[in-house]
Amino acid sequence: MGKIMILNGSPRAPKSNSKRYAEIFSKYCTAETEYYNITKKNHLELCAKMEDYSDVLFVFPLYADSLPVVFLNFLKTLEANPPRRKPVISILINCGFLEYQQNKVAIRMMKFFCHQNHYIIGSILMLGSGEAILDTPFRYVATRNIRKLAQSIASKNYQLIRATMPLTKKLFLMASTIYWKRFGQKFGTTKEQMQTMEIEGEN
Amino acid sequence: MSDKPLDISIRQDSETRYFDLSSLKIANCMGCFGCWTKTPGKCVIRDDATKVYPCIAKSDKVLYVSRLKYGGYDTIMKTMLERAIPVQQAFIRIHNGETHHVQRAVVPKEATIIAYGNISDEEKDIFRQLVARNASNMSFSSHEIIFTTESMVEDQVKRILEKWEK
Ligand SMILES: Cc1cc2nc3c(=O)[nH]c(=O)nc-3n(C[C@H](O)[C@H](O)[C@H](O)COP(=O)(O)O)c2cc1C
Repeated sequence: MGKIMILNGSPRAPKSNSKRYAEIFSKYCTAETEYYNITKKNHLELCAKMEDYSDVLFVFPLYADSLPVVFLNFLKTLEANPPRRKPVISILINCGFLEYQQNKVAIRMMKFFCHQNHYIIGSILMLGSGEAILDTPFRYVATRNIRKLAQSIASKNYQLIRATMPLTKKLFLMASTIYWKRFGQKFGTTKEQMQTMEIEGEN
Repeated sequence: MSDKPLDISIRQDSETRYFDLSSLKIANCMGCFGCWTKTPGKCVIRDDATKVYPCIAKSDKVLYVSRLKYGGYDTIMKTMLERAIPVQQAFIRIHNGETHHVQRAVVPKEATIIAYGNISDEEKDIFRQLVARNASNMSFSSHEIIFTTESMVEDQVKRILEKWEK
């Protein structure tokens, strides 16, 4: 069985949801996994290491409808410094909004990158409601689908998987309002303060 | 705003603002959500981006000039777009049938995007889809995309500015 390299492309990798998703992946994966945060300084090192793995799993969030710029920068380095042997590339993308479909453009960009640089695409998991899902009763949805992702990559039976909270948009809106209100409370910020229309103190 | 310097002149009395993002100091967003929860409407990174996003919010027309990479904005423009999330609230609304963030004082805008480089048809198609998605998140009331080569960028920008000044 091959070895899987997990690369976290979140700008807040050490404290990210992507890291938690990667941990769940490793827990359920029958193949050996090794995890790395992508940092500003380790691009070249990671590119070179890739040749030791049969598979790479990129775990990252959706940012402004596409790839986070720190991850885009890594792909540009990888393009210029390809490993000697190219692994199969799988993807676990999560977005904050309810609809996992909002990840589609980012997936198309990844496919374009892989095609242009001659990587085979393996499995893809598109996760919606990814900012909050792990701390809700719907954690099982994420866990179950990440397990499916892990099994598909370990068995080389690659799949496209999609998942999100089983909520209507209206209920999601209510749940997210509570989530963000609590987030603000941690900093002593009220809901009303968070709702300011002012940008840089101007209206 | 442009990801490369442009040789253009903007009339003194005009309400048009020009940002050469390549000459500004703009770090990447760290995803801390401070702009939604700690200092609402203000980014915690106090660099040049804090001068740009209030302008984006106030404008009823925007022109973005960016090189394309993998069918999306290349690094410089993408960095700025990520840093513009203080113009939104954390709270969610249903907009165009999907969940999106509530906007702060953001004027709906006509967006023109000049995407340049050596662009394949597949990349054009991805980018069209991307900008259509941006429209929901960035308050574009309408949008037009112009694909061009790097050498033609300035001509295209001047054409748009003339149209605006009429
Ligand atoms: C600058 C920025 C832009 C974002 N853009 C989007 C977006 O366009 N669509 C979306 O659904 N979520 C968006 N999100 C939310 C993240 O995708 C979501 O919070 C995710 O869970 C973060 O994952 P991470 O902790 O692994 O970085 C954005 C977050 C930030 C900070």
